[in-house]
Amino acid sequence: MQNQEGLQADGEVDSATSAPSTQFDDWANFADNDIMQQQSSIQAEEAEKIPFEPLSSLAAEYQSGSTILLEKIKVLSEQYAAIRRTRGDGNCFFRSFMFSYLEHILETQDRAEVDRIKANVEQCRKTLQSLGYTDFTFEDFFALFLEQMESVLQGNEDSISHDELILRSRDQSVSDYVVMFFRFVTSGEIQKRSEFFEPFIMGLTNATVEQFCKSSVEPMGEESDHVHITAISDALGVPIRVVYLDRSSCDTGGVSVNHHDFIPADSDLPSASGSKTISPFITLLYRPGHYDILYPK
Amino acid sequence: MATSAQLRLMSDLKAIINEPPEGCSASPLSDDNLFVWSATIFGPDETPWEGGVFSLRLTFGNNYPEKPPRVRFTSEIFHPNVYHDGTLCMDIIQDAWSPCHNVSTILTSVQSLLTDPNPASPANPEAAQLYQHDIQAYNKRVRRCARHSIESS
Repeated sequence: MQNQEGLQADGEVDSATSAPSTQFDDWANFADNDIMQQQSSIQAEEAEKIPFEPLSSLAAEYQSGSTILLEKIKVLSEQYAAIRRTRGDGNCFFRSFMFSYLEHILETQDRAEVDRIKANVEQCRKTLQSLGYTDFTFEDFFALFLEQMESVLQGNEDSISHDELILRSRDQSVSDYVVMFFRFVTSGEIQKRSEFFEPFIMGLTNATVEQFCKSSVEPMGEESDHVHITAISDALGVPIRVVYLDRSSCDTGGVSVNHHDFIPADSDLPSASGSKTISPFITLLYRPGHYDILYPK
Repeated sequence: MATSAQLRLMSDLKAIINEPPEGCSASPLSDDNLFVWSATIFGPDETPWEGGVFSLRLTFGNNYPEKPPRVRFTSEIFHPNVYHDGTLCMDIIQDAWSPCHNVSTILTSVQSLLTDPNPASPANPEAAQLYQHDIQAYNKRVRRCARHSIESS
């Protein structure tokens, strides 16, 4: 729908019957606009398909490919039952994280976790304010995320089902807003603890911490790296497991699949006291350049 | 009912009225359309741009602030990153856009772009060439452009 409206609006401008406000527009702008429009219609099409598949579909994908990958998928299938694919548009980490987290809340109805995360979100809001961000530039995104979290808790008037959660996550206006919320949170955390993050950022680019946030965290479509994942895991206090499916192999024979657990820095998780037995409830599958969601057996 | 873009634009307007950034001003072109703004940027003092008053047009879409507004100079301007039609080549209103920008930050970015061009992505090859190889001639053209901006307005 939105695309159609966009096209019509441009059609008007094109035939020069438009309001005086567009008198300065010209073809140079249309080119960029057309590209953006085509891009968003492709994205809308892709958004329709975020399939939930058994892990065997992953094996099928690599059937004629590397044997190391096939071996690793075999190992994976001992522990994991299914994969949910996320759109590959540079926001896949945040989208995977969003869905996985909300799904977890929906399934566990863990109100203590919701209260805990709300307190952390409040902290993130203060961080952004103290960094000089203008409230109105981020408050809509915060509000939308909190709204999603409330709605997966059952028993309210506007509670939603699992199917509805899938539909909402595919709705670009919801999904993009939540992604932006995460990007703000991530950026705030990195800047708040810039001394900690600086060496990692310097390893990635030549940029300062602030430049990195402006160019590689805040804009939509910028891919996430270790730095982003560490920051959001710390800021929200949510542990994340990332399983790596790549062609690296160990010399010792047998194939194993590496994973890394991102455990929040000053973890206030109940299980954090004493032994390190926090097991992340969010598991993502990383293949170079892309994140999907993994479901343990 | 006001759309989220309209609500956000009202916040932008309130912010720029309450805390106007130095050397910039902006407001919607007419009372009944929040989506088209005109803006003014003063050339920074002690630069060749000093004395110039440059007009811009900002056009917002329904998807603001998810997508950036289109920004173009309506004053004639001689600058490495400004096309002849006045459109700008500037990362924060293109690839590096993020909703944490607002009208004030866009205008202050444009203002600092005036004195700090990025010759690596030239929109006006002649200006980029002069800026890199003959800064005196470049400054002269800029001063002429600044003078011209107040004569023609």
